[in-house]
Amino acid sequence: MMQIENLERVYHLGKANVAALKGVSFNIEDGEFVAIMGPSGSGKSTLMHILGCLDRPTQGRYYLEGHDISKLSDNQLAEIRNKNIGFVFQQFNLLPRMNSLHNVEIPLIYRHTRRSTRLEKAKKALERVGLGERLHHKPSEVSGGEKQRVAIARALINDPSLILADEPTGNLDTRTGNEIMKIFHNLNQQGHTIIVVTHENEIARQARRVIRLRDGLMVGDEVIGSAV
Amino acid sequence: MLFESFKIAISSLQANKLRTFLSMLGIIIGVGAVISIVSIGSGAQMEVTGQIAGLGSNVINIMPGGARMTGGQLTARTADNFTPELADYIHMLSPSVQNIIPQIQDSGAFTYRDVRVQATIIGTKPAFQEINLYNPSAGRFINQGDLETASQVVVLGSRLARNIFDGEDPLGKRVRLEINRRVLLLTVVGVMEERGGNFMGNFDTQAYVPFSTYTQKISSTQNISQFLAQARSADESREAVAQIDYFLSTYLEDEDNYMILSQEQILDVIHQVTRTLNIMLGGIAGISLLVGGIGIMNIMLVSVTERTREIGIRKALGAKKAHIMNQFLIEALTLSSLGGLVGTLLGWLGAFVIASFGGWALVVSPGSVALALGFSLLVGLFFGLYPAYKAANMDPVIALSYE
Ligand SMILES: Nc1ncnc2c1ncn2[C@@H]1O[C@H](COP(=O)(O)OP(=O)(O)OP(=O)(O)O)[C@@H](O)[C@H]1O
Ligand SMILES: [Mg+2]
Repeated sequence: MMQIENLERVYHLGKANVAALKGVSFNIEDGEFVAIMGPSGSGKSTLMHILGCLDRPTQGRYYLEGHDISKLSDNQLAEIRNKNIGFVFQQFNLLPRMNSLHNVEIPLIYRHTRRSTRLEKAKKALERVGLGERLHHKPSEVSGGEKQRVAIARALINDPSLILADEPTGNLDTRTGNEIMKIFHNLNQQGHTIIVVTHENEIARQARRVIRLRDGLMVGDEVIGSAV
Repeated sequence: MLFESFKIAISSLQANKLRTFLSMLGIIIGVGAVISIVSIGSGAQMEVTGQIAGLGSNVINIMPGGARMTGGQLTARTADNFTPELADYIHMLSPSVQNIIPQIQDSGAFTYRDVRVQATIIGTKPAFQEINLYNPSAGRFINQGDLETASQVVVLGSRLARNIFDGEDPLGKRVRLEINRRVLLLTVVGVMEERGGNFMGNFDTQAYVPFSTYTQKISSTQNISQFLAQARSADESREAVAQIDYFLSTYLEDEDNYMILSQEQILDVIHQVTRTLNIMLGGIAGISLLVGGIGIMNIMLVSVTERTREIGIRKALGAKKAHIMNQFLIEALTLSSLGGLVGTLLGWLGAFVIASFGGWALVVSPGSVALALGFSLLVGLFFGLYPAYKAANMDPVIALSYE
């Protein structure tokens, strides 16, 4: 359960202030599949960073599972990111020198999980996204779609309740993008809350709810019947 | 977790091998310099100390006219006061002095058949052998009987014996000695062992005659070149010097009229010199370690900037500040301790090479190795701290969007 109340985020650029979010409020229930849409610069990524506990709001409240995020320390936020949130980025954000297994196990390292357990879990997560054959490939040795699957496996490794994806299909062709969305669908069916930022109506239509932003404000929030 | 950080550090250092090596170079040179300089210093010191110890045991030289060292002339009075009897007084009044003998010397020329060889002739007593730890390799040294009868015998230094006799057995041969416008026939009763030259002169080219023979048959003056004394033990060496000094300053009424030089004092001077040298060179080595540390800090800052995105990713995945801090600190420590190890090996090697050239024993004190390694770790910690702190405190969002 996520509650957003009057969320504002102002960036200070020298003397100029850029308001990326100007008061956004909504709730998201556990198990929802939400798409966030809006033109470039409307504040989608800014919102995702706050929802993902990577950033704090300038004003307003964000309650995640009842915790007021703005009251938590950096280390407590790190722990929430580690245990409750899985991130998927447009640029994949894998570590180039490590193979799939080692990329996927990283969140477990920061939970002090034993190595053998880590590798076992990483293997399972990679199998879950259909990459059981690519365990020892480095990011440079796999395709874009496969990279994104590695990233999803990494996001899944701690079995987080919330998965945030900021334009996960932005660097992929339509077919591969649809495959990635299928994975999110499966995860949603398994009970994960999914929030996906996207430009494409095609992608957004696969969600059950679409939140629209423009210029830092929420301009739409509609429930659309489950697609596919 | 620490092990993971260590693995990350190793793999990131491996990814940039040349850069890793170059950034360690300062530490390598610094540590290598510390190890080799300290080792060379103590090896050389042991060598010189050993040479001085080989000069005799607890020897104290007493010479007339300290002013002579500064170019002054001996006053007649001082010379007159340096008589053989003075040795007996010193012996009686200085309980820490075990032996004391007068020594008198001049140059002369030996002739045997058609060979003529110049040499320094020393008039001395049997204790000379004990004081200088200097023994005959053939025959005997001057004994009490020679002294009492002022017998016409001579003991030759090893090289002098070779020069005069050229392979022939010198024992029992009679040689002609021209000295002080007199001529004596002397019987060779002994040849001394090889001693080699050092800064105190070369024993091997000298000849030794009984003190009484010298004073009665060679020189009519009673003026002594120097007294050779021996303290009862190394521990009593200082006291012996003090006792002699006290007696002479009272007896001769002037401290400038004599000079006392003990083995102990020479050793002290050498220790002081090497200490000063060690401190100076150690300082230079320390500076190069410091420079090495700055090199490490530089490369760590580069590494942190280069891996800004990695830091963002790790933070997004749940790394806390301490995790990031550890990762970069351990990388800096790995860098510096690796440099320290390589430096130790190189320093050791350098010390070994120089020791074998210098002909002394290789001394690498565990203390200097521990010091150098400890210092390089400290340098890594100190200079790694700021880059690691910088990495740990990056904003995750900004780090993630770093191009
Ligand atoms: N770190 C920052 N410092 C200053 N301004 C920023 C920063 N990040 C974002 N902004 C500004 O905030 C506004 C919203 O940015 P945001 O990245 O959230 O947009 P977006 O909706 O994700 O756009 P896009 O679809 O292009 O990714 C933009 O005007 C952007 O310039
Ligand atoms: Mg964006």
